[in-house]
Amino acid sequence: MRAVLYFLPLFRQLRGPLLLSLGLSAVTLAAGIGLLGISGWFLTAAALSIAGSAFNLFGPSAGVRGLSFVRILSRYGEKLTGHNATLKLLSDLRRWLFERLFRIVPLGRRFGRADLVSRLIADLDALDTIFLIALGPIGTAGVVGIAMTVLLAFVLPAAAPIYAIGFILAVLAVPAALITASRRPGAEAAASSASLRQAVLDGIDGHADFTVFDSLDRVALGAGNAATRLAAARRRLGLLGSLASAVVQLLAGGILVGTLLAGLAALRAGAIDGPVLVGILLAVMASFEASAALVRSATRLAGSAAAAERLVAIAEAPAEITEPLAPVALPAGGDIRFDHVGFAYAGGLPVLADLSFAVATGTCVAIKGASGSGKSTIAQLLVRLADPTSGAVRINGVDLRAVSTTDLRRRVALMTQDAPVFSDSVRANLLIGRPDATDADLWQMLETVRLADTIRALPGALDAVLGEAGRSLSAGQARRIGLARTLLSPASIIVLDEPTSGLDADAEAAFLADLPGLSAGRTLLVITHAAVPPGFDRVHHLRGGQILG
Amino acid sequence: MTTPAAVSSPSDGRKWLARLSRTGGLAANLALGLPLLSGGLLLLQAGLLARILHQAIVGGLDLEHLGVPVGLFAAVLLLRILIGVVGEIAATAASEAIKLRLRADLVGTILAKPPVWSAARSSGALSGIVVEQVEAMDGYLTRYLPAMAQAALLPLAFAAFILPIDGIVALLFVVSAPLIPMFMALAGWGAQAASERQATALGRLSGRFADRLRGLTTLKLFGREAAETEGVALASEDLRRRTMQVMRIAFLSSAVLEFFAALGVAGVALYVGLTFLDLIHLRGAVPLTLEAGLFCLLMAPEVYQPLRLLAANYHDQAFAKAAVAEIAAQLGELPVAAAASLGAAPVPEITGPAALVLSQVGIAAPNERPVVVDAELTLRPGEHIAILGQSGAGKSTLLEAIAGLRPYEGTISLDSAGIATFPPALLRTRIGVLGQRPTIFAGSIADNIRLGRRDACDTVVRLAAKRACVTDFADELPAGLDTELGENGVGLSGGEIHRIALARLYLRDPGLLLLDEPTAHLDLDTESRVLDGLLEFARGRTMIVVTHSTAVAARLDRCLRIVHGRLLPAPRIVERQPPQRGAA
Repeated sequence: MRAVLYFLPLFRQLRGPLLLSLGLSAVTLAAGIGLLGISGWFLTAAALSIAGSAFNLFGPSAGVRGLSFVRILSRYGEKLTGHNATLKLLSDLRRWLFERLFRIVPLGRRFGRADLVSRLIADLDALDTIFLIALGPIGTAGVVGIAMTVLLAFVLPAAAPIYAIGFILAVLAVPAALITASRRPGAEAAASSASLRQAVLDGIDGHADFTVFDSLDRVALGAGNAATRLAAARRRLGLLGSLASAVVQLLAGGILVGTLLAGLAALRAGAIDGPVLVGILLAVMASFEASAALVRSATRLAGSAAAAERLVAIAEAPAEITEPLAPVALPAGGDIRFDHVGFAYAGGLPVLADLSFAVATGTCVAIKGASGSGKSTIAQLLVRLADPTSGAVRINGVDLRAVSTTDLRRRVALMTQDAPVFSDSVRANLLIGRPDATDADLWQMLETVRLADTIRALPGALDAVLGEAGRSLSAGQARRIGLARTLLSPASIIVLDEPTSGLDADAEAAFLADLPGLSAGRTLLVITHAAVPPGFDRVHHLRGGQILG
Repeated sequence: MTTPAAVSSPSDGRKWLARLSRTGGLAANLALGLPLLSGGLLLLQAGLLARILHQAIVGGLDLEHLGVPVGLFAAVLLLRILIGVVGEIAATAASEAIKLRLRADLVGTILAKPPVWSAARSSGALSGIVVEQVEAMDGYLTRYLPAMAQAALLPLAFAAFILPIDGIVALLFVVSAPLIPMFMALAGWGAQAASERQATALGRLSGRFADRLRGLTTLKLFGREAAETEGVALASEDLRRRTMQVMRIAFLSSAVLEFFAALGVAGVALYVGLTFLDLIHLRGAVPLTLEAGLFCLLMAPEVYQPLRLLAANYHDQAFAKAAVAEIAAQLGELPVAAAASLGAAPVPEITGPAALVLSQVGIAAPNERPVVVDAELTLRPGEHIAILGQSGAGKSTLLEAIAGLRPYEGTISLDSAGIATFPPALLRTRIGVLGQRPTIFAGSIADNIRLGRRDACDTVVRLAAKRACVTDFADELPAGLDTELGENGVGLSGGEIHRIALARLYLRDPGLLLLDEPTAHLDLDTESRVLDGLLEFARGRTMIVVTHSTAVAARLDRCLRIVHGRLLPAPRIVERQPPQRGAA
């Protein structure tokens, strides 16, 4: 439950609309109670009166009609304000979470992608309705319960404690018990829902492989198991909800019978008359409308609490990279120096050991190495996706850990080995590298990476939307989009991690040969396993975590 | 959507949904029937309360004389609560059973489609239909359907029961109650259309998240945090606007309901009261008792209660219909129960090298642009060839067609029979395929290799791993082949993933090997050792290797090249000395 409080600041921004919605729903309920109470009182009083002329008709009939209209209007207003505020909250939550996600990039080793999507969509939805479905109705029930107790204390004092105790149990004890009991099956439902999604995503991502190995049944089985676990968890949740709802109804029934008995006794004693007895009894029945929604509220509250916990876990995850407190400005230039750099993943073998080398501004340098030799780690250290475990990486003589990452990444552009093509237009994909590039710049860059003809042939050219993960392009073409994006960047150091994987030998050689000419005063570091053509200022060979020459 | 005829109209969707809800069995019938029984008992409950009050107020009876009716009243209350609980539990059980079956059908339908179909779609949206869209039907199954049954029967039943007591009150109920669903339907139509748009927006948003998450690192490296966060916020705002469109109309129907319900209560109170006061005389000679009047008033809110319940759950139906539309849009069809079995059927044993003949084979991209034209190829059993070509020339596409993963024109025959006539399981045992983007799923390296053959023992897995040079890197890891791999093979390089995929293949016994860039991402030294293992395995098998590597092509029997969609012979590449490494 504490995790829900974490989001209090976001709720506070929407205090006005939320309170308005709460007030309107209390008015709606009160109007309903008044309507039925007055009707019962009026009807009984009329039955008991001997002469019609002596009865004042105006008050009750005006009251009945007035309350009807109040109820209609407040109901509509309550729903509209409540939902609008809730959806605003959802937008705020989504923005908040995305900001957090960027902070803790790279996510790879900690959170799976499918799990993240599930968290984002489902958890945010569970959390945003917390007011509408959970807190709002519980709050309204509390307000109405207090008001009814006060009313009873004046009119039928013997029934007041029965009503108060019953309502407190229904509003507080039952939801609390339900939330506690739902915790385990709720977490199980969320976990099995995530593994169901993972199973389906795995099946789709590996559809071809599972097909050729005749193993589609394996995917179906995995998804089926997850779905079965999900169904079991949801059945348990449903059972708990049904039981809780039965308890709330039992409490309401107890209140009704108790009020009836107290009322009959008071009638006998002459403390109240017949019309008041009927009026108060009907009012009590009408007030149960407030408790009818409580179980749903409690169920949602339990779900929201679990969702909030998962979201806070992401939000509070420590960033793997810490920003310097007093960042040093990076001096101009593109000098790279690795000083006795060592690197190992937590609990893993060393990837780099005592690695030292330097790259001068404006030169074009290749680092060649076998797969698994730690080439990609060099690239990650240069943009601080990771920090060295020993030694230091310097640019223009400044240790990167002293520089703000924003400054650093403006100066160093990296094309990662898995740089994706986004489901977006060609233009949007390229503009990520330089948002202010003109179409002419883009075409020129597409010519440079030998992609211009391909893009021109697509319907819409620069506006053509590329499919998920760029699957409508070949692997090689997708790499070139990533390459064009990186080269567009105004950074003074360009790092390319395996830029030619997926290109054929001729294109690879031609492409690598082009690279020295592209640097235009920029430092270009190319990390590759391919044969390096002449034109590079220097080629380093990486082996066993060290530069051999 | 290009799938012919299968795209369902909204009315097909409705019928499909209705058929789906009928598969719930006994539990579903209990879920529908028990609330009706409870509604019937409500008449008894209200009658008892009215009698108690009448006898206390008009008859002047005290508590001792009212013990029996008060006890009965409490007993009826208790019984209704019990019936309610059993009904709810039955509804949940029915819904979970239906959803479980539907999920299996959906997964089966997706997997039964060709891989090129799923590759062209957003995996986020496809997994979304199995997870969220199916879940979106829960409210329809557990709440809407029972509410619908109650709304259809109870108001009229109540009115019929009240008719002998007072014709005017019954008339008021009969006239006002059916008006409510009519007005609500009018309001609901608008909500339905808007809610379909909302489901699309939700799907897009979900796809956008998956897409952006995959590239989070790239976006961050280019300093796009602010712009992308803004994009997410904009998409959410868009969703809010769409949702509010649904809500503004949907809430109108709840206001209509409130209007009639209030009218009913106020109408009964005023009519009965004025009759008591002798101000109106619509009943004829028979005087109205307090008991009868109270009974009418007590029943007045209950007549509208089923409709109120229906209104509260009306959006569940809209969500379910929108979910059905989304499923139909994603799949191009609605799944029918009992999807084809995906189990491995027993296949006849055929071993030995396969003969392959391609005759006038043409392949078109999904946008109908021809990729491969009139390809002719004859492979002797045991022959090894390389296919070269510019990237994007159609090499991978041709390989996928031969593997039976992609539609084509012309004939492709294996062992002198068209591959289209092969039972799928036989085709899979005869052809071994290494794709360009092999899949690594969550599990150990050994588990991943066992995709090739599930029952392979540790020794066999280890031999395959060694032949594919997987042991080169696996033995460096603390847990060796038992090292757990995360989603998308986190922690492995492209070359390592390819070698695991090769090891999978080595567990099988295919007559034809189709390999798409088996040595991509590998350095020359590893490449030549991987190639040694591959050629050893390929002895006595026919093999096609799509490659950029001259080192690979040089070690195969002959070379072909795809130029402008045509498969042409190419000069055989003669092996060169690998370039000297060392001093630079």
